[in-house]
Amino acid sequence: MTDPLRPTLLPLGDRALLIRFADTLSDAANRAAIAFAALAEAAALPGVVEIVPNLVSVLLRYEPGAITFERLAGELRLLTSAPGGATVAGAAHAIAISFDGEDLGDVASQLNLAPAGFIRAHNARSLRVLATGFAPGFVYCGLHPAALVVPRRTVVRRQVPAGTVLFAAGQTAITSTPIPTGWHVIGHTGFRNFDPAAEPPTAVRAGDTIRFEVAT
Amino acid sequence: MTGIRITRVGPLATVQDAGRPGLLRHGISASGPMDHAAFERAGGWLGAAGTAGIEFTTAGIGFVAEGSVSIAVDGGAFELVIDGETKPWPTRALLQAGSVVEVRPGAFGNYGYLRFDREIDVPQLMGSRATSSIAGIGGFSGRALQVGDVVPLGATLRRGRGQHPTATPARNGPIRVVWGIHADRFDNAIRQRFVTDEFVVSPQLDRMGARLADPQRVFAEARILSLVSDAVVPGDIQILGDGTPIVLMRDHQPTGGYPRIATVVSADLDRFAQLRPGTPLRFEAVTVAHAEGLKP
Repeated sequence: MTDPLRPTLLPLGDRALLIRFADTLSDAANRAAIAFAALAEAAALPGVVEIVPNLVSVLLRYEPGAITFERLAGELRLLTSAPGGATVAGAAHAIAISFDGEDLGDVASQLNLAPAGFIRAHNARSLRVLATGFAPGFVYCGLHPAALVVPRRTVVRRQVPAGTVLFAAGQTAITSTPIPTGWHVIGHTGFRNFDPAAEPPTAVRAGDTIRFEVAT
Repeated sequence: MTGIRITRVGPLATVQDAGRPGLLRHGISASGPMDHAAFERAGGWLGAAGTAGIEFTTAGIGFVAEGSVSIAVDGGAFELVIDGETKPWPTRALLQAGSVVEVRPGAFGNYGYLRFDREIDVPQLMGSRATSSIAGIGGFSGRALQVGDVVPLGATLRRGRGQHPTATPARNGPIRVVWGIHADRFDNAIRQRFVTDEFVVSPQLDRMGARLADPQRVFAEARILSLVSDAVVPGDIQILGDGTPIVLMRDHQPTGGYPRIATVVSADLDRFAQLRPGTPLRFEAVTVAHAEGLKP
């Protein structure tokens, strides 16, 4: 596993660079990726046109001609060695969920809980937004404690609607558009993190915190 | 109101413009023309073209002009007939109200472009009129054009000095790639075969991606691990769980968790997009520094 303090820099085609903080998802690697994205944004590097944090990596797209991969990689190595691990103080959101998903009972029983007990455990603590961008407005939240980890379903649902609350792999995710998914459907929400007419089109950012509540 | 009324259209004809880059963190890939250079050329023949145009697929498109409008076409090789008269490809033409235009399948290419001396009058969404087939937004309410649609056109733009349309010679040779972010996950032997063995463009291609047939079974023995997902860029070559290579294109998923062995260089992505199903191809690995110096 990569040491989050010594990330790997990789070309992603000839107009983007990926900086990866780990090969597997961990809280530390995810925090490192989100913090580095903020650091790189603040550095306003020449030729960089887009910076996108992901679960354990950050994408930097650059303008061909304005900077080369080699030069950008050099600048980023300097940034990674800068002292002081920045942390991102994100916004806090509260999201109401109807825990009426078709997999709720199955998930609870996999964890040896009654559905009500699962809902209590699920909402017990705020979660961090680990990443956005899998689909319009999609958010991954985590990480749940080990006692709340279930694997993905073996069967993929062809489509779940916007506002579906998904659960797997120690995370809770929220859809804002219809998507196929192999995650468990534990509930639904009226919250939509995608409005194509808004600027920006999504409200929740990686590094924000989310408190889940039972919808009344 | 000026516009064109669609009388015949193949699948997946869409309104496109330069796209909406910069929104990956919101879950939106940039879209834009599959063959950027051809889209640009068609605009260049007009001199001053609306930022948006129509991308059509192999079957072509037919339409009637509602009002007088200048058009230009380019991309691939299609057959063009205006009011019964065969025209060269590419072409610039001034249509009169009622002109009947037929773009018929031709010898080469998956995508052709139709540009106007006017803007396509559909709403801008997040700074662009481009249709995203994966997000279901842009263009005509996020959908492909259908027979009976009237594509509304705005006022004539100030006349530009267009170049005389000339055909662009087709380039051949291997599709150049830089090694991908997971190339090290593949055995050396598989990497070697990736740049020596032949692949074939499969019929399963759309704006999101083009699957490749792997007749030499390069990836049959590859152990495909599931990975933490990272950002995707157009041209990424993903190896799916069953060993199928897929080249992700303009409407790509914003992130991906399958291993990516290589990424098609920007300079060759337009050319790759035009390869029809059944076309054999080889990949050639180049360095990033080399790729950065290539012209499309």
